Parts: sequence; C-alpha cells; structure tokens
Amino acid sequence: MDNFELICPAGTPAALRAAVDAGADAVYLGFRDETNARNFPGLNFTRQDVADAVDYAHARRVEVYVAINTYPQAGNLGPWQKAVDDAARLRVDAVIMADPGLLAYAAKRHPDLRLHLSVQASAANVEAIRLYRDTFGVRRVVLPRVLTVPEIAKLNAEIDIETEVFVFGGLCPMAEGRCSLSSYATGLSPNKQGVCSPANHVRYEQRGGALASTLGGFTINVFGEGEQAGYPTLCKGRFVAGAGAGGAPAYLFEEPTSLNAMDLLPELKAAGVRALKIEGRQRGKAYIAAVVRAYREALESFAAGRPVPHIDLQAMVEGGTQTTGAYTRAWR
Amino acid sequence: MRDPDVAQTVSVSNPLAGERARRFETGLSRAGLGLVPRLGRRASDALLARLLRLLADRHPRAFEALRGMPDARVLIEPVDAPVALLMRVGPELSLHALPRGADGVGEAGAADAVVRGPYARLLDLLEGRIDGDALFFRRELSISGDTALILALRNTLDGEEEMDLVADVASIAGPLARVLPVLRRNAGPVLDRIEAARRLLPPPLRRGIERVEARIIGTLPGSGA
Amino acid sequence: MTASLTLGPVLFNWPVDRWRDFYARIADEAPVDTVIVGEIVCFKRAPFFAEAMGDVIERLSAAGKTVWLASPILVGSERERAAMRDLVESDAGLVEANDMGALALLAGRPHAVGPTINVYNEATLGWMAGRGAVAVSLPAELPAATVAVLAKAGRELGVETEVQVWGRAPLAISARCYHARAHGLHKDGCQFVCGNDPDGMPVTTMDGQPFLTVNGTQTMSHGCLCLAAELPALVEMGVNRFRLSPQAMDMVRVAEAFRAVLDGRRDGAEVATELGGLIDAPLVNGFYHDTAGALRVA
Repeated sequence: MDNFELICPAGTPAALRAAVDAGADAVYLGFRDETNARNFPGLNFTRQDVADAVDYAHARRVEVYVAINTYPQAGNLGPWQKAVDDAARLRVDAVIMADPGLLAYAAKRHPDLRLHLSVQASAANVEAIRLYRDTFGVRRVVLPRVLTVPEIAKLNAEIDIETEVFVFGGLCPMAEGRCSLSSYATGLSPNKQGVCSPANHVRYEQRGGALASTLGGFTINVFGEGEQAGYPTLCKGRFVAGAGAGGAPAYLFEEPTSLNAMDLLPELKAAGVRALKIEGRQRGKAYIAAVVRAYREALESFAAGRPVPHIDLQAMVEGGTQTTGAYTRAWR
Repeated sequence: MRDPDVAQTVSVSNPLAGERARRFETGLSRAGLGLVPRLGRRASDALLARLLRLLADRHPRAFEALRGMPDARVLIEPVDAPVALLMRVGPELSLHALPRGADGVGEAGAADAVVRGPYARLLDLLEGRIDGDALFFRRELSISGDTALILALRNTLDGEEEMDLVADVASIAGPLARVLPVLRRNAGPVLDRIEAARRLLPPPLRRGIERVEARIIGTLPGSGA
Repeated sequence: MTASLTLGPVLFNWPVDRWRDFYARIADEAPVDTVIVGEIVCFKRAPFFAEAMGDVIERLSAAGKTVWLASPILVGSERERAAMRDLVESDAGLVEANDMGALALLAGRPHAVGPTINVYNEATLGWMAGRGAVAVSLPAELPAATVAVLAKAGRELGVETEVQVWGRAPLAISARCYHARAHGLHKDGCQFVCGNDPDGMPVTTMDGQPFLTVNGTQTMSHGCLCLAAELPALVEMGVNRFRLSPQAMDMVRVAEAFRAVLDGRRDGAEVATELGGLIDAPLVNGFYHDTAGALRVA
C-alpha cells in the first residue's frame, strides 16, 4: 500500500524551503499575478523564483506544482496560456487548473505536462471527474470540500485517477470556484482575480473598546473588548439572520475555524485517497514549517502502523478552533 | 502567556534561553530606538538610510520587493516606545524616526496605513516572525488605513529567511559607535538586571544571554550563531 | 437570432400549490419564450415538486412556451447522481446543465449550460459548443466587457448567450444548509424551514445593513439584479437571451415590462424604476459595471 503524499503550500521562496525542509512530498505555489487563486499583495513567485524553487525541491526529491487555477479572462487568455507554457518550460511536476478552456490548451500544447484538477473546479461527482480525465487527461483531482469521507470512498471506487483532499487550514464552507460572495461585496472574486475578501477592501475601525472589520463597506464582524479578532473573510463573519431586528448576530456560514483532519487518516486511507493537502499559501513560513512538520510526523507514525500522535496545532488555527468540516455529516 | 504564532527562531540551542534572549534583545533595541532622535534629524536619517543600504546588501530580495511596491507610507508606531518609524515603500524607499505623540502627528498624517502595537510585536512583524493571518487575529496590534499595504509589507518580509534586524542594526559600525555609549549608559539598569539574572541561571541560559550581549556590543558581527 | 425572454427555475421553496399556480399564470399571461423548470437548489425539496412537474410542463408547453429542465447545482451523493442521470435521460425537454457532471452526460446532443457552470472565456465557450451546447447562461459576476467577448464568440460558434437581467443573483452553493443552521437545526432534520421564506431569508450585517439572502444551501444577493436599463447595450453586443429569475412578486408584470423594453416600446431606466417599487430590495447592477455586485451604477 502506497503512503499518502503530503502536498504543502508556499507563498514565498522562504516558505517553499521551509515546507521542503519540514517534510513535504510536493509543494504547490503560484506565479505572481492573477493566474492563481492566492493573488495577494507581496506573495508568490517570479519565473526565476520558480526555477530556483524547482532546483531546490528536486535536489531533495520533492515535487513542485504550479496552481494556474483562476478562470482566464475573456479576450485576454495570454497571461494564463503563458503561465502554462512557462510552468512546462520550468520543469514543474504538475500544473493545477480549473478552466476547461485552459485545460484544453495545456493538454494540446504540452502533452507531457501532468495536469491536476484544482479544487476551484469543484468536481464533486464521478461524472464530472471522468469528464476531465477523458477529455484532458487529468491525472489527479483535488476534491471540493463538500463531500463526506464515505462519499469520497464511493467516488474513489468508481474513478481511476488519484484524489487529493484538504486536511488542514482555512475552510471554505461554500463549494469552491462557485462563489461570488467576495465579488458581490468588493467587485473582486476568486475566479476572476484570484482573491477572496481582498485586503484593499478591508478596513478596521475602532469603536470604543470594540473593533469592527468591514469589507467593501459591509460590516463583517464586531469584536468586543478582549475578544480575539479575525480577518473579515466574508463567509466567516457574524450576521443577523431572519426578518426583523430581533435576531442575535451569529456565525451564519462558518465559525472562524480551521480544518484539521489528522484524526481521519485511517478513514481517508480506507477511502482510497492518494494525497493530503495543507491549505495556506498566504500564511507565513512559521505556520508552514510547524504544520508540515506535524503532518510529516503523523504520516510516519501512521505508515509504520503506530497510533497517530496527537500533535498540538492549536496555535496555528484561526479562531483557536478546529473542525473536521464536511468530512463528517454533522457539519451540514 | 506565550505568544503562540510567533516562531521561536532566535538561534540558541536552548528554547527557554532563546525566549529570554529575545526578550532582552527586544528591550535593548527598543531603548536604542528611543535614542535615535536624540542624534538630531539629519544624523538619525543618515543612520536609518545606512540601515536600509545594509538591508539592500543582506536581503536584496526583500529590498527590491519593497522598492517595487507602489509609493506609500506606513507608520509603525510602538505604543511603549517614545519613537515611531515612518517607512516609505516604493521607488523612494526610506525610513524616518519620529517622536511619538503630538510632534509626530503632522508627518504621521501623511501615512497611508498605521500599524500600532507593543514594540516587541512590531519587531516580530518587521522581521517576518509573525504568521500573516495571525497579525490580524491578535488584538495587540491595531491596524488602520490601507490593510493591503500592511499585508504586502508583511508578506514581503516573511519571504526572507531569518531576517534579524537587531543584528543588522548592531553591525552598523560607524554611526552606532556614536549611539552605543549613550545606549549603554541609558540601558545600564537593564544590563545590570541581566548581570544579576545571569548569576542565577543555569549554564545553557547563561550562554544564550552572553550571545545576545555580544551581538549588542558588536563583538559578534552579523551574529550567525 | 432574435431577443427572447427566459424564466429561470424557481429557486425558493414554495408550497407545491403556489408553485403550480405560479406556472399556470406564467403559461397564460407572461410574455416569456422559454421556461426552465426544476428544483436545482436542494435535493430534499425535489419530491414535493415531482408530482406536479408533469402537469406544469404540459401546461406551459400547451401555452406555446419552450420548456427546459434544469439539473441540480450541487451533485455529490449517490441519490443526487441517480436523479441527475434520470433527468438527463428524460425526453421531457432540453436539459440545462448546472453541474459539470450533467454536462458530461449531455455530451454529443443539444443541451444548455446554466449560470452556475463557470464559463468565463471564449476558449471554454468554444469547448462547450463543440460538445453540443446550444445556449449558455453566463455567470452573474461577469462584467460587460466579458459578456461582449462571449456574445461575439457565441454568435460565431452558433451558441446563444444569455444574461440574467432580473432577480436576486445566485452567489454561492454549499453542502451545508444555512437555513437549517440559522434555526439551530441540522440539514438532515431541517423541518424544511426554508419554506417559511418564499423570497429567501434576509441576512443583515451587525450594523443592521441588509446584505445577503439565504435560500437553504444557496446564498443569494440581497439586492435584486436589474439590467433593464442595460438591455439595449446587451442586445447590441449580441446577447439574445435574457433571464428573469422568479421572486415572490408579480413576475408577469416583470416579464411584460422587460418585453416592452426589448420591443422598444418602453425605456429601460423607467422600467427599472417601476419594478424597483415592487420588491423589498434595492436594485443592483454592479457586476455588469465591473464593480461590487451590491452597487447600483446609474
């Protein structure tokens, strides 16, 4: 039985080295533009950075994947096609994509380039996954965070390409790549610009002892004195649901919480999952080193048949709470 | 309470010693920063310009990235130090020290973003030791103005390996040579306390502190330790 | 290709009698050309409408409407997959795919592509045309410049392009039910609380500003998307299908008003003003004008 592959994020060359040194099997990253879904200020890789990253990783038998997982802009396909061409030229091990038009381009131009289907494609069923495999030769699908572990097991029984699932980090409560919430509040979206709840539309406002966070002028949360604050990601905000002003503000969509599926390793293995993915290209190298190291340790114990140790990652999670998310039915 | 999101990256073998060393180092550099404006505007600007040139040599990637940002000003304001720093990013990259409070308001008013908090947190931020999102979770740091600018600054600094501003500052021999006597005089009580503490500490911790002191007085340039 | 009006599927959980009556009146009075039917938001609601579906399709067809069947937005479970396969195999009408799985099953025969499938550029549109797509309803968040490129490409490919011009914009879909969650319930034991809100459940900010609308597993805009004033520009671009998404309001009047603008009998801005008075929500058009979707650009 093959071991899980551990797929780790990097937003900067320093983070990539941290991930490689901490035990990643593969590191995923993006170019420094709108072609990837973490197009944040000060983040990501120039072409030269990617060349250096590939050298550093390959010398240590670690793979590099490039995410080109936004949806190319109509009338301006050039930057996305060039990103694919450059990824192939730079000898990366796979590209992670979502747009059918771009997948078709990559499959035709670079038949030897390994294609992975991004979570942004939200392929949640056998029929959709087969479509990408049969049409574009996609070799691996990153599953959207809408499926339970039993659903993943059933799905793996019917498809013959690898599956990769998120095990740690920020959690989208919505089906990825099918969400325009950020776009509604700010005009900038994950699909188009590669940003969600972008910082240039965020404002923090002191209201006496309370701190309000706003996005595009909408109040996403108000933190009382002494309460831990959060970044105003729209779906992790507090809102009042229902008609009338009587309702109490609540985390209607999702609490500020992080996915941690470390306890589900046996179930994920039984479900036929090939690779485990850590979220967080926007997080610092301190986070990446700590989380990757913890997962490497857990995977080694698991592979050796020892019990998976309880590794404290509490310090790394948003809002200080962890969840197994959609993998268990109760989340719904 | 220990700050969970700050990596303990001070390069000493004993983690506890590392934590303590970091604390002393932070206190001393804060005291040093407080003295910068006493040099007079021209001398303090020259000192800070020299620090930037040093950054360009030691951290060329971060330096180029800061210069590549659109022209903007970030006010970095430690609430527990008498001095704030106004960093101009973009092609005109520069650093100015301003006295905190009323006198600084005029120049601080030109800032596009302000990040305010305890000196120790701000040093962690500038050295890229705090995880990006954690910056926003903690109420110790408050942010106003252009959030994207602060995020860009933080991401840029985090992209560097092991940035160590205290060591960098300490290795500027010329101007610091003039500052250090003042620093030592004013930081005397702190050093006395270190000395007192040292006598009570077990050997590994003692070595950690010696290393910090060595860095501060410049006998271990660059402090690769 | 002449401009036509489409009535999108009812997205809210209406009592089946109301649902049936709604379509009866649409059949008799609304000047729409195509009516798309089907429960696409929540699999749990589908059985309620299944028994009335045959009658509704027959009624609409008898009135001269073209009836299309919409596939669900999110298909994950075995039962959802089985329902999707049944739908695709039925011969009751052209199928509008709202998920890539349905699109896969429809390959090689004429079908429509719904607005919850990501069509952002001409390469993807071309790929879909090659597999049998005859009409593509574009995602709500696309700006005018993108719509123009896709409409032009669509004309060259022989694919009709559609834009939603009325109704709350669908913004997100989830495996989690927010209606149930807001009521302290679990999706599996939801008591169909979404049925209490025929126009969705309002979501306001902590400062009391209306913001979003929850419709079970779907999240929609609070603002009602209205592109009445933009209709002439859309026609000029070559967009030839215009979607009205049902709200709990007089949709016949909405259809008549849009028909009048398409026919050149009424001014779009004036129609927007009139229709804005009929719904308890601001009109928005920000997506089209390449800004926040919640905004209205004059």
